Parts: sequence; C-alpha cells; structure tokens
Amino acid sequence: MYSTTHSHHLSLHEESSLNVIKPEHKILSTFLIVISIAFSDVENLFQIFSHLIIVFWILFTSKIPSKTYFKRLAIDIPFIIFALFLPFISSENNDLVYTFFGIEVFRTGLIDMFSILFKVTLGVTMGIVLTAVTSNIELIYGLQKLKLPQIIIAIMSFTIRYIDVFIDEFKRVKISMRSRGYEEKGLKGLKPMAYASGAMLIRGYERGERVYLSMISRGFNGSIELKEREYNNSPSLIFLTIASIIVLILDKYS
Amino acid sequence: MSKYLKINKLSYTYPDGHKALKEISFSIEKGESVAILGPNGAGKTTLILHLNGILGKLTGEIEVDGLEYSTENIAKIRKTVGVVFQDPDDQLFMPTVLEDVMFGPKNFGYSNEESEKNAIEALKMVGMDNFQDRAPHHLSFGQKRKVAIATVLASKPKLLVLDEPASNLDPASRRDLIKILMNLNISIILVTHDLPMALEICDRSLVLNEGMIKEDSLTKNILKNEELMKENRLELPYGFALHHLGEE
Repeated sequence: MYSTTHSHHLSLHEESSLNVIKPEHKILSTFLIVISIAFSDVENLFQIFSHLIIVFWILFTSKIPSKTYFKRLAIDIPFIIFALFLPFISSENNDLVYTFFGIEVFRTGLIDMFSILFKVTLGVTMGIVLTAVTSNIELIYGLQKLKLPQIIIAIMSFTIRYIDVFIDEFKRVKISMRSRGYEEKGLKGLKPMAYASGAMLIRGYERGERVYLSMISRGFNGSIELKEREYNNSPSLIFLTIASIIVLILDKYS
Repeated sequence: MSKYLKINKLSYTYPDGHKALKEISFSIEKGESVAILGPNGAGKTTLILHLNGILGKLTGEIEVDGLEYSTENIAKIRKTVGVVFQDPDDQLFMPTVLEDVMFGPKNFGYSNEESEKNAIEALKMVGMDNFQDRAPHHLSFGQKRKVAIATVLASKPKLLVLDEPASNLDPASRRDLIKILMNLNISIILVTHDLPMALEICDRSLVLNEGMIKEDSLTKNILKNEELMKENRLELPYGFALHHLGEE
C-alpha cells in the first residue's frame, strides 16, 4: 500500500571539496557571484574573462560529470532562443552592422544577445553547482543559518518532506483510475483528472491537519529548528566570491 | 495504586453536530495497560485526541497524573501523555530521523544535548538507532512506525497512547512491535482492531461503540463473550482458538 518513491534529487553523491563546506557559505557565495555577473559589463573583456575563470574554476572543483552539467544546462535553452532573435530586432540609432539577403543585423542586438548568453549561462552554471553539491536539507539548513524567517524554513522543509508522499498518493489514485478503464488521452481524460486533482487537494489539506495535530501533541510552539550540523570553512570559495565582487567594483571605478 | 488517568463524563460534539463521545467515564491505574476496542467510527480516535488536549472544548473532566485539563496544564499533559498516531507519515515530518525524534523533547524544554540523548535512547528502545541520519520518507512502513513510537518515547511520557499501531504491518513487524511495547515500563492505552494483540499486551479492555463505553472488563472475558462481540462488530481472526484465552 505504501510504496516509497525516491524523487530525483539534484544533489550528486560524488564527494567534492564543495560538498563538505558550510551550506550558508555556498548559498551566499552563489548569490553574490551571480549578482556580480548580472551587473558586469559584457563589453569589458577583463570582466568577462575574470568571471569565466571564477565560475569555471568552481565548476571544475565541484567535479560534476560533464554529461550531467550539459544536461542540466538545458534549462538555458529558452533564454538562448530568445537571445538569438535580438540581433535582428534590437537596435539603437539604426546601428546596422550587416545585411544578409535583406535581413538586418544590429550592433545593440548583438551585444544584448551576448550579454544574455553570457550572464544566463554563468548564472545557471552557479545554480547547477550549488544544487549538485548541496542536498535539499543542507540548503534549508543554510538558509536557516542565514536567518531566513522560521516560517519559510518550516514551509520549505515540509514541501521537501511531503512531495514524495504526495506523488505516491497521486500515483495510487491514477493506478486505481486506470484499473477502472481510465485513459489519459484527449480532452475527455481531463475531467476525471481535474476531479482527482481536487481530491488530492483535499487530501493534502487533511494530511496537513493531521500533521499539525501530531506536532501539537508533541508540544509544538511555533518554531522548528534543524539540528546543528558540522561543515568545513572554505577559504578558496570566500576568495573567489570576493574576487568576483572586486572585478565588478574595479571596473565601475576604473 | 493511584488512579493515573481519570475521565469523568467526557462528552464531545464535533462542529458539524456529530456526537462523537457521550458521557464517557473510566480510570486507569499507574503501570496498567488498557486496550480500547470498537468498530470504525466508534469515537476511539476522538477519545485519544482528548487525552492529549488537542480538540479543545469538552464537557466533563479529564485528569492526568493529578493534572486537571486546563490551559495552564496543557503543555504538562502533552508531555505526560504521548500519542502515536495512525499514519506514521503524519508524525514524521523533519528531514532526518534523529531531528524528528528530538522535536518533542526540544519543545518540552529539554536542552539540545538532553534532547539528543533522549532521542538516541528512544531509538535504541525501538531498535532504530542505526537510522539516525536517514530521511524518514525513505524508510519502510514498519520502520516508520517504530520511529514514530520513538518520537513519542523521547519526551519520556508516563502514558503511551497508540492508535492502531499494528495496521498495515507485516507479521514480523507486528511481532517486533508487540515485543517493544511489552518491554516498556509505562502505562499503555492501545486502540486497536487487532484483538489478539490487545489480549497479549493488555489485561483489561474497554469496548467503545457509538461514543459510549459498552464494556469495561478483562480482555479475555470480552473476547469470550460472543454476544457482546457481535453487538459491537468485533470478531476474532479465523482459526483463533479459545485455548488462547485460557479455556481448553
């Protein structure tokens, strides 16, 4: 009756030196480096190369297999498609650089395209590294250390805890529907699925109630705190984060 | 012996008007284990929730270990009475087994070190101390049940209340559970449809039906009383011989 689905977590089991460092450092570093990349100037080669070196150094340290990395990078694709249109439509003062069979290519558009490709790819790379070397629980623990409000920590940990239970329940509902001749094809299939989803919503609500009762009975008084965990400091990650910010600031004042 | 749990004319009506409990009175002595038997919808789970002061407004009196049911006493009552709920997935919500078992003691004011010590002790009692860092949702159902019991034992309750602890367990897990419960040195209230289990663990049983206590006597006498059993939709498993009840 109670099968357990192990949902596919993003964190990889391969140990790298990034796996064992403080999650709050990893979160903060990722945030700062991504911000620094977002504000960088793509026409400045020093900034581009510095950021490329920083991000790929971190990617290399994380020991993510290249196949996994490129697979996860696919989330980039919608942005790439959007960016590829820009050279043809984005222009300032009609700054035409090239005409190809009547199709015009503009300089502003080219820079915008490169800017999006560069920033999104590096930003996503940082996200991929963070999620690959930090488990879900560690992420929440890190956010707790960064003093995110208790209630948000609680909601996030409940989401992670119950997503498997919910998926299992929905699977069982679908199996029981199919065993009574239900087919998911076409518009006809939508109505029963909508009812099933409604039923799931109510079940979710009821489970929430029951979990809450069980928490109260164990003296719940409004705060959930994760146990203290031990992690290493990472001077090199701190160094790279500071370097990334300095690269940004240097340029602003040079 | 002192009366440990005293319930006097307890009634409860749900907001939709359904009368779940009607003037229930009984008491339990220290160290005594009592089973509550009865059909679905008899009011068993409602009664359990009251023992922990969860449902709020009630009419009648509940006294646990000398503490009367009141807003000031509620935290103490919840510490004294540990409830293990029917579905362990409702009870286990923290990221790791150890954190879940520590949740209760921490709420009840134990320090972090004490909570951890209590939690590890409790996990040892149910034979799950090797699972401390595992995620509860990756455990088997039987393991989840054991951890759920540990989550309650860690707060060192004096009265353990279990709601259908044997449901969905395979026979070996059920046997493990019975062993664990028989080795605990505290009072137990066992709500169950598993009559042989009730007989094994509890000398005394209450039959609850339609929100009322229909019988309060020795478990074996209840199981032998065919008429009473039939009236209250109770039935022994097929093949269960009467010599188990002391009658060849």
